[in-house]
Amino acid sequence: MLRCIGLSKTFEKNLFDEFDLDLDAGQIVAITGPSGCGKTTLLRCICGLETLDEGHILLDGVDITRMLPEERGIGLIFQRPVLYPHLNVERNLKLGDKQADIPTALAEVGLLGFEKRAVDTLSGGEGQRVALARALLANPSVLLLDEPFSSLDDDLSEKLAKDVRDLLKKRGCPAILVTHNKSIAKLFADVVLSIE
Amino acid sequence: MKTKLVAYVAVTTYSLLIVIPLLLAVDRLVWVAGFDVTSWISSLDANYISKGVFQFTVMQAVFSSLATLAIGIPIAWQLGRYKWPFQNIIRSLLTMPFVMPSIVAAMGFLHLMGDNALDIRNDSTTWLWVLIIAHAWFNLSLVIRFCEPVLSTLDPSLEEQLRLLPEGRTKFGRFRHLWFPLLIPSIAAAACMTFVFSFTSFALVKWITLGEKTLESMMADIGSSAGIPGYMISKNEVILGSSLIQFTVLLFSLWLMTWLQNRRQSLLPTANEKIVKKNNNAGWLVILPAICFAVIPLATLIVSSFRVTETTVDGSRTYWSTEGWSYAFSATNSLPSGWDALYNSIGYALICLTIALPLGWILAQTISELEGDSPRLARALDVFTMLPFAVSSAMIGLGVMLGMIKINPEFFYSLWLTPVIAHIMITTPFVVRIILPAMRSLDAKYDECGQTLGMSRTKRFFLIKLPMLRGSILIAAIFTIAMSLGEFGASWVVTRNSDWTTLPVMIDSIRAFPYNEPLVPPAANAVSSVLMLIALFLFISSEKFRPKRDGGMF
Repeated sequence: MLRCIGLSKTFEKNLFDEFDLDLDAGQIVAITGPSGCGKTTLLRCICGLETLDEGHILLDGVDITRMLPEERGIGLIFQRPVLYPHLNVERNLKLGDKQADIPTALAEVGLLGFEKRAVDTLSGGEGQRVALARALLANPSVLLLDEPFSSLDDDLSEKLAKDVRDLLKKRGCPAILVTHNKSIAKLFADVVLSIE
Repeated sequence: MKTKLVAYVAVTTYSLLIVIPLLLAVDRLVWVAGFDVTSWISSLDANYISKGVFQFTVMQAVFSSLATLAIGIPIAWQLGRYKWPFQNIIRSLLTMPFVMPSIVAAMGFLHLMGDNALDIRNDSTTWLWVLIIAHAWFNLSLVIRFCEPVLSTLDPSLEEQLRLLPEGRTKFGRFRHLWFPLLIPSIAAAACMTFVFSFTSFALVKWITLGEKTLESMMADIGSSAGIPGYMISKNEVILGSSLIQFTVLLFSLWLMTWLQNRRQSLLPTANEKIVKKNNNAGWLVILPAICFAVIPLATLIVSSFRVTETTVDGSRTYWSTEGWSYAFSATNSLPSGWDALYNSIGYALICLTIALPLGWILAQTISELEGDSPRLARALDVFTMLPFAVSSAMIGLGVMLGMIKINPEFFYSLWLTPVIAHIMITTPFVVRIILPAMRSLDAKYDECGQTLGMSRTKRFFLIKLPMLRGSILIAAIFTIAMSLGEFGASWVVTRNSDWTTLPVMIDSIRAFPYNEPLVPPAANAVSSVLMLIALFLFISSEKFRPKRDGGMF
């Protein structure tokens, strides 16, 4: 499915060196490590928002290392939900799929009836659910999650982590979560890796 | 109680200075022309002086706004999205035209496009394009100042996220779903202000067109024969009709701009511009021509002030000389010296500052305090202080001139201070608009903390409020001086005595001399250069105090 071979990136310091990863279809992997160890940069390199110093990324056998982010078909959920303030929830979701059945997509993340809500009226957890629904509507080959639960309180982050995992498993969508929270990583992923 | 009294005195003074002359002028015009609004409006088409003027005014303002956007948006994009060496200097150079007095811009373009340089204005089909380009030059900084802050501080994750979604995979998709909706309020607000400034443009229209008139320049031209009972009644009707149309158009444009500014995305997620901006060497293809566009008309002025062209029967010869400067700064039978104009300008600017700044401060303070207790009254006072924005400088000049005739013509015609009334009318609303947002953004906790420390109101004012608002006060002060020094439309209408001649009026007077006098262009450009250098000095001083990311006009 997704193969990362010898990924290296230096930015002021050596962030990661010769990093390898194999992600199978439907598998969920969590990568843990302390703040500043390069977890976010790793995800940004995989989806193409940052360039690698060395290494190759293969998706379904195709080398996507030099592809533009918009051509890779990889989804990313940022640490804070990136929702467009000039669009309501429904129009934010339509960026993922113009033809989408919005009520169904919202029902999947437990937000049925939120279609017309302005995004600045959503709580942090609700915002992340909308971002997740939108990312899934785009039908990504792989979904990358950059500490999406870190800004929520413990109870809510655990609940959301479980909900998201169930949803990804139901859809068979492979995912990579990076987090500094080891208990969330164990709860969410099939495999937990650690980088220092 | 004492504070309320100060507020009452300020509002009354403002009304007397600003509203009363206008009301008296309207009263005088109506007294001569009669109260028949339909006849005022229809006189515009019926009178040969004003026929087609409204249409031309709208047409040139619309084209000027479109040209300003076409030139300004790519520049704002490059400045906002990419890193540049000496970025502050580049930004200052590109925003500098807006603070230049309009008569300076007119002289710069007149020379640059005239027969001594590019020679593209002499053809009667091309002067309109020169006017439109000159308006675009003048208003370029509005587009930059309105759009650049949105571009340079928008959290890059918004675009990054969109690149990973199907609807944002193409550049067009990202433009459609992100940049266009986010920028459109800023672009529209800049277009509104450009339209207002082009609609009321006076000096540029007067000097660049070949006798074509806008409502503003027409009112200025015929104003001297208005307000006299039984004399040229139709001109009074034309002035009333033009003023009414101009007031309505300006009021609507300003309302639209305020509405658009309120719609600007204040809740947009922002990031430090160091994170947002990237390198883009290809962008020099936009930035370098833009810098040339901003600087060349002004540099031309200085150079041409030292160039004298003499025409004889044997042909013409051009040589380097300081004769233009000597001519401009020596008194003649028909003109005061440049020194006298400079002293008048500085005198008027300083008097204007001592009245407009405290008056504007007290009005801003009153509005700010009323916003808590009586928001409606605060809003009413806010709108009241903005009212002069809907009145152009020629209309203000006419207001002062006709208003003072109504009160006591002999007294006012001999009073050196008369032009100051017009300058105060024009600058006070700007002072309010600069200081009020700063007052609003000042956290009330600072004052409350001072109260809990036992400080008196006066002590809190001097130790807390004044130092914290220092930047805005200095910008307002510099802006007041700059506007008064460069004010042309109202001064041109009001000046009835050569002892009142200011630098802009003097430039106009010199340039109006017969063109075959070889020292006319260099002398006019010499005075323009002096005015330009003063404006430049004031602009550089104000840039030091301007918040970088304010995203407004000032």
